Amino acid sequence: MSDDTTPPLPNPDVLTQPFWEACRERRLQVSACEECNHLFLPPGPCCPRCWSTRQTPRVVSGEGRVYSFALYRRTYHPAIPEPYVVALIELDEGPRLISNVVGCAPEEVRVDMRVRVRFEDVDGFTLPRFEPLTMTGGAS
Amino acid sequence: MSRRAVITGVGHTAFGRSTDRSVSELETEAALSAVEDAGVSPSEVDGLLSDPGAMQGVLDGITPHYLRLGAQLGLDPDYTGSEILGGAGSVAVVERAVLAIEAGLCTTCLCIYADSTTSVKSAYRYGRGDDAVYGFFGAVGLHALAARRHMHLYGTKPEQLGEVAIAARAHAARTPHAQKRRPIEMQEYLSSDPIVEPLRKLDCCLVSNGAAAVLVTTEERARDLRRPAVQILGHAQAHSLCTQAAPEHFERLPAARCGPRALGQAGLGPRDVDVALLYDCFTIVVLLQLEDYGFCKRGEAGPFVEGGRIAPGGELPVNPSGGLLAEGYGGGMLHVVEAVRQLRGEAGERQIPEASVALVSGHGLGMNTHATLVLGR
Ligand SMILES: [Zn+2]
Repeated sequence: MSDDTTPPLPNPDVLTQPFWEACRERRLQVSACEECNHLFLPPGPCCPRCWSTRQTPRVVSGEGRVYSFALYRRTYHPAIPEPYVVALIELDEGPRLISNVVGCAPEEVRVDMRVRVRFEDVDGFTLPRFEPLTMTGGAS
Repeated sequence: MSRRAVITGVGHTAFGRSTDRSVSELETEAALSAVEDAGVSPSEVDGLLSDPGAMQGVLDGITPHYLRLGAQLGLDPDYTGSEILGGAGSVAVVERAVLAIEAGLCTTCLCIYADSTTSVKSAYRYGRGDDAVYGFFGAVGLHALAARRHMHLYGTKPEQLGEVAIAARAHAARTPHAQKRRPIEMQEYLSSDPIVEPLRKLDCCLVSNGAAAVLVTTEERARDLRRPAVQILGHAQAHSLCTQAAPEHFERLPAARCGPRALGQAGLGPRDVDVALLYDCFTIVVLLQLEDYGFCKRGEAGPFVEGGRIAPGGELPVNPSGGLLAEGYGGGMLHVVEAVRQLRGEAGERQIPEASVALVSGHGLGMNTHATLVLGR
């Protein structure tokens, strides 16, 4: 199934399928707990804060900041050649997710840089990657 | 009647990249050397705990590691098991042996770490679920996030990570069995190939084939054995399982929780530690632990390691045998072995004078698991 030309792809299950379906429609969504209002990622069977199983999807702005990042100078998978940036993105609404920073040179990525989601289609999936919110560094 | 557990024997194979020996042979050699070191008969071993390295894994098909290992050593123990705590596993199995012995479940427990590149299984990949989609592979990428965060928060410099790598090699130069004994200087560190920035090749632990073993028994049984018993002064674990969802996951290790508990059981603080055996899969993990165990204030580990403070002859020697960065990848069990040798005064050229308290740590997976042992004479 995974050969050298196919990048690793999401493996949706019953819990994560709605997240990937929303991405395909260009919406980034997180899980919102109906008991304690905690917003969380990744999707799961219960709220990791209060264990309530009552939750609803909530679409978020797709804006956030780079909490930290790793600049890959080694190619681990032939379909994902170096250099590339893996970042831990902290969304403005709170939840964090691992993604890539694209749309700028890898050397330009900084911690705390403001970013916005950019949906990219890869082999039938739509991945939420992130790009700098402004290239000039102005606040927005 | 309360029973106290002590460490009475240690042993290991050579560590290196050579692949001509099977992991089974390595395990057997380590087991024999620990039993011989203690001076007990193999027939006395009634407990078997194992930390199989990531390459061989805890399961071979449906066969757990302890089952294969126990059959190979002809054991029908009263207590057995294998840990799956990544790099915290070796320290955790020694702790588990202590708990089992003190609870009366067994009397003489063999703890073994072993791994070999000849036993690599396809599962040996760090792509975790959907994060692999973004190319988030390898333990190095995870630790690069922590290193970058530390640099951002505290101004930590590459040269300060370099101090950790340089100290490890300087220690290993005094360790006859170490895998990388050639000392390095800062220029060589700085020109080392980037792997996942900000981490370079010399920030990363070695890949090794080898096995190490520790024998734990009762204080009473150890009394007439030939080696001085090493005391268990404290032990604790703490874990951070939520990874990126945990607020401080890439800034602080669970060591900040279990370190004070383990030292507190001994009535000790970080200043009482003569030698620190800190799990060092990457240089940044040493910096984080220096802060989390309270050897320095949070954010100050970079300046703390400058001037050779953790190097041979420094104020706080860290990993005097060279650790995972230079001695060999011993899964954390070699750290326990070295602590025992230092406390028994058997470390030769690298002996820390009058070492009487050793702190040993294990750190594993995606910075998720942590275990601490405080050992004494
Ligand atoms: Zn909740």
